[in-house]
Amino acid sequence: MTATSYEQTFPRPRRSLVPAWALHWGTWLLVVALIVGPLVPLLYASLRDRPLYEAGGVLTVQPYRELFGDSAFWHAWGNTLAFASLTTLMAVLGGALVAILVTRTDIAGRKTLGRLILLPILLPSLGMVLGWLVIWGPGGYLTAMFNDRLHLPTLPIDTIPGMALVEATRLLPIAYLTCQAALSRADSSLEDAARSAGARPVRVLSNITIPMLRPALLNAATLIFTLSIAALGIPLLLGTSNNIVFVSSYLYNTWTNATTPDPGSVSAGAVMMLLVATALLVLRNRLLGAEARFVSVGGKSGRQALLRLRSARWPLTGLVAFYLVFTTLVPIIGLALMSVVVVLTPLVAPWELLTSAHWQVLLDDDTFRRSIRNSAVIALVGALLTTAFVALATLVAHRSGFRFRRTLPFLMLYPRATPGIIIGIGFFWAYLITGAFGDYMRGSIWGIMLAFCVRNLPLAYIVMYPTLARIGEELDRAGRAAGAGWWRTSRSIVLPLLKPALFASFILMFVEIINDYDPAVFLVKPGTEVMGATMLAQFIQGTVGPVSALAMVQVVITVVVLSIGAKLFKIGVSGGEHGA
Amino acid sequence: MPEIHVRNIVKEFGDQRALDDVSFDVAEGELFTLLGPSGCGKSTTLMSIAGFQHPEAGRIAVGDDTFFDAVAKIAVPAEQRNLGIVFQSYAVWPHLTVFGNLAFPLKVRKLRRDAIRARVRQVLELVEMLPYEQRYPHQLSGGQQQRVALARALVYSPSVLLLDEPFSNLDAKLRERARAWVKELQGTLGLTTIFVTHDQDEALSMSDRVAVMSAGEVQQIGTPEEIYRRPANRFVAEFVGRVNLIDGLVSGSGGGGVVVDVAGSSHQLTVNDGAGVSGSVTIAVRPEAVTVMRLDDRSVDGMNTWEAEVETVAFLGDHYEYDVKAGPLALTVQSSRRVEGDRIRVHIPPDACAVVE
Ligand SMILES: Nc1ncnc2c1ncn2[C@@H]1O[C@H](COP(=O)(O)OP(=O)(O)OP(=O)(O)O)[C@@H](O)[C@H]1O
Ligand SMILES: [Mg+2]
Repeated sequence: MTATSYEQTFPRPRRSLVPAWALHWGTWLLVVALIVGPLVPLLYASLRDRPLYEAGGVLTVQPYRELFGDSAFWHAWGNTLAFASLTTLMAVLGGALVAILVTRTDIAGRKTLGRLILLPILLPSLGMVLGWLVIWGPGGYLTAMFNDRLHLPTLPIDTIPGMALVEATRLLPIAYLTCQAALSRADSSLEDAARSAGARPVRVLSNITIPMLRPALLNAATLIFTLSIAALGIPLLLGTSNNIVFVSSYLYNTWTNATTPDPGSVSAGAVMMLLVATALLVLRNRLLGAEARFVSVGGKSGRQALLRLRSARWPLTGLVAFYLVFTTLVPIIGLALMSVVVVLTPLVAPWELLTSAHWQVLLDDDTFRRSIRNSAVIALVGALLTTAFVALATLVAHRSGFRFRRTLPFLMLYPRATPGIIIGIGFFWAYLITGAFGDYMRGSIWGIMLAFCVRNLPLAYIVMYPTLARIGEELDRAGRAAGAGWWRTSRSIVLPLLKPALFASFILMFVEIINDYDPAVFLVKPGTEVMGATMLAQFIQGTVGPVSALAMVQVVITVVVLSIGAKLFKIGVSGGEHGA
Repeated sequence: MPEIHVRNIVKEFGDQRALDDVSFDVAEGELFTLLGPSGCGKSTTLMSIAGFQHPEAGRIAVGDDTFFDAVAKIAVPAEQRNLGIVFQSYAVWPHLTVFGNLAFPLKVRKLRRDAIRARVRQVLELVEMLPYEQRYPHQLSGGQQQRVALARALVYSPSVLLLDEPFSNLDAKLRERARAWVKELQGTLGLTTIFVTHDQDEALSMSDRVAVMSAGEVQQIGTPEEIYRRPANRFVAEFVGRVNLIDGLVSGSGGGGVVVDVAGSSHQLTVNDGAGVSGSVTIAVRPEAVTVMRLDDRSVDGMNTWEAEVETVAFLGDHYEYDVKAGPLALTVQSSRRVEGDRIRVHIPPDACAVVE
C-alpha cells in the first residue's frame, strides 16, 4: 500500500454534549450531597431548642446538656464500650486463628472452610440474632435442653459477654479476611527459614507469623470496634430482658418513647456517636497506608509449604466445623423451626407442634406482605443504582484529572464508619427540611432506599477498586488518543472491563440492602415498611413466629442470590471483601 | 504531515522535577527519537505531547495547532489532538476483537459502517494482520498484538505518530524485525514520528535524529552519526555506545583542533575538535576507532601513535577486543584484526577524537 492510498482525512471527533468536567463536578457534588448532606441537618438539629420543622427556634446547646445530664446515657456508653471491646477481642482472635489455620496449615477442607467462614457477615444480621435468641436465649430451645434436661450450664447470651459473642461471630469474617490477605501476601520464607533452623511450629507461629500479622490485626480491630459500637439489633433483641442498654438502643428508645416528638437530644447523641466513629476511621486511615487498605484477596498463596498439624489436624478441623455449626447452622435451623411450630420447646417434639400459621401471616398480613415486596424492590433498584453510581464515582476518583478526585475515596468509605441509625436520623432530618422532594421521599419507599444505598455504598467501592486498579491506565489513554472523550472511553473501554466487579458489586449490594434495617427504623411509615424494620417492630411487640418466617425469607433470598452470584461470576471470594 | 515543536517544557511531580526546560523540533516526515536511561523523562515528554500530562511551563504545537501553552493557558484535551500512540504495553483492548479495536477510533469519528469496514481492512492489510481480523487479543502473539496496536494508531490517519518503547516486550529476534518493519512503514507513509527508547542500538539504527535525555534535560540533539562521533558531553559519550575517556590539559592548538597533554603521562594527543577550548579537557574515543598494529608495523606513524602493553585479548566473533595500557593510559580497543605479541602499537586518528568537557 502506498502513502497516497493510506492518507485520508477523517472528520475530527466531535466533543461530547456533556463535557467531562461537568460530569466530574456533578458526580462529586452528588457524592458530597449524599454522604455529607444528611449529616449537616443532624448536626443542626442537635443544636436547636426545637425540631427543625418548627418555625422559630434558637441555637442552643440544651440538647447536649440534657443528654449529658442523663446518667442512663453514660451508663449506655459504658455498656457499649464493654460490649465493643469484648466483641473486638473475640472476633479478632478467632478470625486470626481461622486465617492461620486455613492459609498456613494442612487443616482438612481448607477451601470449603475458608468460604463458609465468610457466611455470617453476609447473612441477615437481625435474623441471625433472632436465631441465636430462639436457640440460646433465656428459654431458648438448646438452653432449656441443656439446663433442664442435662443440667449443664450455657452461656447466657442476654448478658454483655453473651451479646459480644453473638456480634463477634457476625464480624469474625472481617478479621479473617484481613489476616488471610496479609498472610497470603506475606512471604512465607521467613517462617520456612525459622522452621528449617529447628524452631518448633508453635514457636514459629508465636515469634514470626503473629508479629507479621500485627498491622492486619490492628486494622481489623479498629473496623470491628467501629462496627460493633453501632449494633442496634443485639441490644434491642437480647438486651431488653436484663435491661442492658447501649447507646444505639438508648437513642432508639428515647426517640420512640419521647413525649415530645423528635427530641434534639437524640440528634445530640447521634452526633456524639458519629464523632467517635469518625475518630476511629481517621485512626484507621493513619494505621494503614492508602495502598494496604485494598489488598486483593487471593494472590500467590498455595505455593507455600503448609504446616503439618499431624495429630492435631482432625481435632482442629472438628473445632472449626463445630464453630460453624453452632454459630451459623444452628441459629438458622432454629429460625426455620421457629417459623413452623407453635412454640419451640424441648418438652414436646417439634413435629407435634407444626403449624403453617406463621407463614400464612406473611401471605395474609398487609404489613408483612408489603415489607417483602418493598424490600425486594428496594434491593433490586438500590443495588442497580448504587453499582452504577459508585462505578461512575470510582472512575472519577481514579481515572480522571478532576481536581478533587482524591477526596472521593475517603468520602465513599466514610459511611462504613457511620452507624446505621445515624444515617437514618440524618436522612430523616434531611427529608424534613427539603420541601416537596423530602416529602415525597418520606412518603415513599425511595427515601428508605436512598438511606440504604448510602449506608452500603462503601462495599461497592471496596469491590470495584481493586479490579479497576488492575486495568492498566494505558487502556483508557489509548481510548482518549483514539479520539474518545472521557465518558465515551469510560463507557466503551473501562466499564466493559470492569464488568465482573460490577456484577459482584450488584450481588453484594442486593444482599446487603435486602438485609439492612437500622437506617430504616426512623424512616418507616405505614406503607413503606421493609423486612428488617418490620421484624424489629414486630418482635418488640412480641410476635416471634411470623418474624422468624420473615427472617427465613431473608436467609433464603441471601443464600440463593449469593450462590447464583458465585456460580455465574465466581465471586465467592471477592464477595467477602468486606475486610477492606 | 506537520512538524512538532516542543518549547521549554517543565514538568514537576511534587518537588521532583521530571522535565527541566525540554525543547526540540521534529521536522515533517522525520523519525525523531528520545533516548535516555530509565526515569529520565522520556515518557513524560511523550505524554505531555499526547495530552495526558500537563506541564507547568512551556509550549507544544503540532503544525499550526497549539496543543499546550502554559502562558496562554491552552491545553487541548488528549482526545482532540488527533495523534496516534503506541504504548509500551500495547494497550490493545482485551474485550474487543482486532476489528473492534481498529473500528473504535472510526466509530468515534462517526464514519458509516461500510466506510469503517473498508478502512479497517485497508490498514490491517498494511500491517499484514488481515487474517486475524476476528481474533481477540489473547489469541495473538506479542508481535501480532504490537502490530494491532500500531494499526489502531494509524487507522484514523493521525497527524503524528508517538511510539513509547513499542518493542520492549518483544524478544530479541522479533524486535530486530519489528524495527526494520516500522522504519519502512514510517518512511513509506511519511509519518512525522517521535519514538521513545532506552536502547541505543534501536535509536541509532532507526532514527533520522536523536535527542539524548538525562534527568529531565535534553543533553544533545543530532543525527545518529553526530551523537555517536561527536558526543556533546561525557554523559552522551558514555550512554551511547562504549567509549574511552581521556583526561588531559590543552597545551596548544592546530589543524582545526587542539593538542592535549594526556594526564599522568608524557603522551600528547592531537584532536581535530574543540578549537578554541583551553584548560583541562576530556576526550572521547570509540574503541573501534583506535587502530592496533604490530610493534614493527610502521604503516602509521607520528602523532597519536604509542606503544602499548596488551593486558587481555577477547575473541567476540566478528571482532577482537583488547585491553591495553599505553604507559599509564588504559584503553579499550576493538579491531577485526588479530595482532600478535604482548607489546603492540596503537594509533588514535585525530578525527576520531571528540572533546566532551
Ligand atoms: N505520575 C507520576 N507521579 C510522580 N512521579 C512521576 C509520575 N510519572 C513519572 N514520574 C517520575 O518522573 C520521572 C520521569 O518518568 P518517565 O516515566 O518519564 O521516565 P522514562 O524516561 O519514560 O523511564 P522508562 O524508560 O523507565 O519508561 C521519573 O523519575 C518518575 O519517577
Ligand atoms: Mg517510559
